[in-house]
Amino acid sequence: MSILELNDLSFSYKTDEEETIGVKNINLTVEKGEFIVLLGHNGCGKSTLAKLLNGLLLPDEGTVSVDGFLTSDESNIYKIRSKVGMVFQNPDNQMVASIIEDDVAFGPENLGVERSEIVKRVEWALEAVGMSAYRKGTPFKLSGGQKQRIAIASVLAMKPDVLILDESTAMLDPQGREEVLSVVKKLNADGMTVILITHYMDEATDADRIVVMNAGQIEATGTPKEIFSDKELIDRCRLHPPVCCGVMHKLSALGFPVEPVLTDEEAVEVLCRLR
Amino acid sequence: MRNVAFGQYYPTDSPIHKLDPRTKLFAGAISIAAAFVADSYWAYLACYAFLFIVILVSKIPVFQVLKTVKSIFAIILISVILNVFFHDEGKVLWAWWKIKITVGGLLYSGQIILRLMFLVLSTSLITLTSTPTELTDGLERFLTPLKYLRFPVHDVAIIMSIALRFIPTLMEETDKITMAQKARGAKFDVGGPLARAKALLPVLIPLFVSAFRRADELAFALDARCYNATEARTKMKVLRFGWRDLTATLCLALFLTVVIFLRLGFFGLL
Repeated sequence: MSILELNDLSFSYKTDEEETIGVKNINLTVEKGEFIVLLGHNGCGKSTLAKLLNGLLLPDEGTVSVDGFLTSDESNIYKIRSKVGMVFQNPDNQMVASIIEDDVAFGPENLGVERSEIVKRVEWALEAVGMSAYRKGTPFKLSGGQKQRIAIASVLAMKPDVLILDESTAMLDPQGREEVLSVVKKLNADGMTVILITHYMDEATDADRIVVMNAGQIEATGTPKEIFSDKELIDRCRLHPPVCCGVMHKLSALGFPVEPVLTDEEAVEVLCRLR
Repeated sequence: MRNVAFGQYYPTDSPIHKLDPRTKLFAGAISIAAAFVADSYWAYLACYAFLFIVILVSKIPVFQVLKTVKSIFAIILISVILNVFFHDEGKVLWAWWKIKITVGGLLYSGQIILRLMFLVLSTSLITLTSTPTELTDGLERFLTPLKYLRFPVHDVAIIMSIALRFIPTLMEETDKITMAQKARGAKFDVGGPLARAKALLPVLIPLFVSAFRRADELAFALDARCYNATEARTKMKVLRFGWRDLTATLCLALFLTVVIFLRLGFFGLL
């Protein structure tokens, strides 16, 4: 069953002098439980698309429907935002409270969830991201990865159907990225629909489907294998493939019979077979 | 220090720390009232005796509490000087032109010192024993009746909470910008006050720009988490006015009564 449906979606940023295209003619359907990675270089419209998905921005043309509700209908907006949780780039700029559990409780409090249920949800959400031990603490001493996990917990506490991570790993060190990604993959394995927006291709290897964006439009969709093997597409959209993937492209350009790979382990296997 | 939320919170497991923040805010109001009602050394003796007992119960080192007086040292000094020289009452000890030192003046100055110190000590005791978050919560509950006058109580509470939340973040940022500007050759500690103030501009402007950017992102984050979704907002933490708070309130009432009686000279001989 599809949870998100985008129909011919267009949006542009308007000021008095000029109009900048955010996204143009986007058609996309996301199934429940899918793990989608939205790839694209800076300024390609990924974040604009994300904000359109939960009604933070409203489409100029076309429609976004979340579980059957249109974002353009004012009366649905909070229902949609509680269904589509969004984690942003800078963990510091999305926390409202000085105490971690208070921050996690903020979403359900806003929704008017009953007290005993909030307590349960806070416990569950912090457990899900592995931060229960920090419950009563302040976020200031935490690492970037830990802060971002708190931000994920804060969104989870609203019990969303879809989790969008809008470049949430961009400001993190490699260890922090690893922490956040493993939490996200675990949530997906438990049935959460995930849309991960990033410009790191190596975060896309486990995706069910990759959507590549360029200049506000969807350039390609496909499995990681399909996308990673398309060297022309990667160059055109200015993506940075993982090293192993680049090596395979070079080898195949030199005439070696190699197939595209996603991880270093696969690359080793393919290279060993060459002998 | 910067890692702690903010302020001077001194965590212990004392009963004072466990009081409802509303009780503590109420205690603050009572202490201020007492400081102004008290007009004799006997009354101040009562005030300080009460304060001392509270400090003992709170398990905070007395020295830690006394340190807070430092911040108003200049104010105390000025008011003492004014009162010593210009309060004209009783036997004259020393006189020159219009300036006189009198016995009454000295006694009165002593009271001023005690009053100012009591004000600072008792209010510091509140911030030493409660986190800023607790105080914000308490304040919000106190202001709740204003809802009926269409005063946006909850929004004000969120503003306070966000302000507290961002103080450490912005302090950290100030440090970073200061260092970055120093690395570019900025000098912050040379020249007169005007030059120094001017030298701060290259820190303040980037700080403001960044604060606005943060505010913009935070606004999206608040919206994404359904801020203002319903009038019937709930709260995870409910403040409970328990037996501790009842005891504390009764003690406070008794204390204020004693101070008022002392003022009225009710005990005849005093």
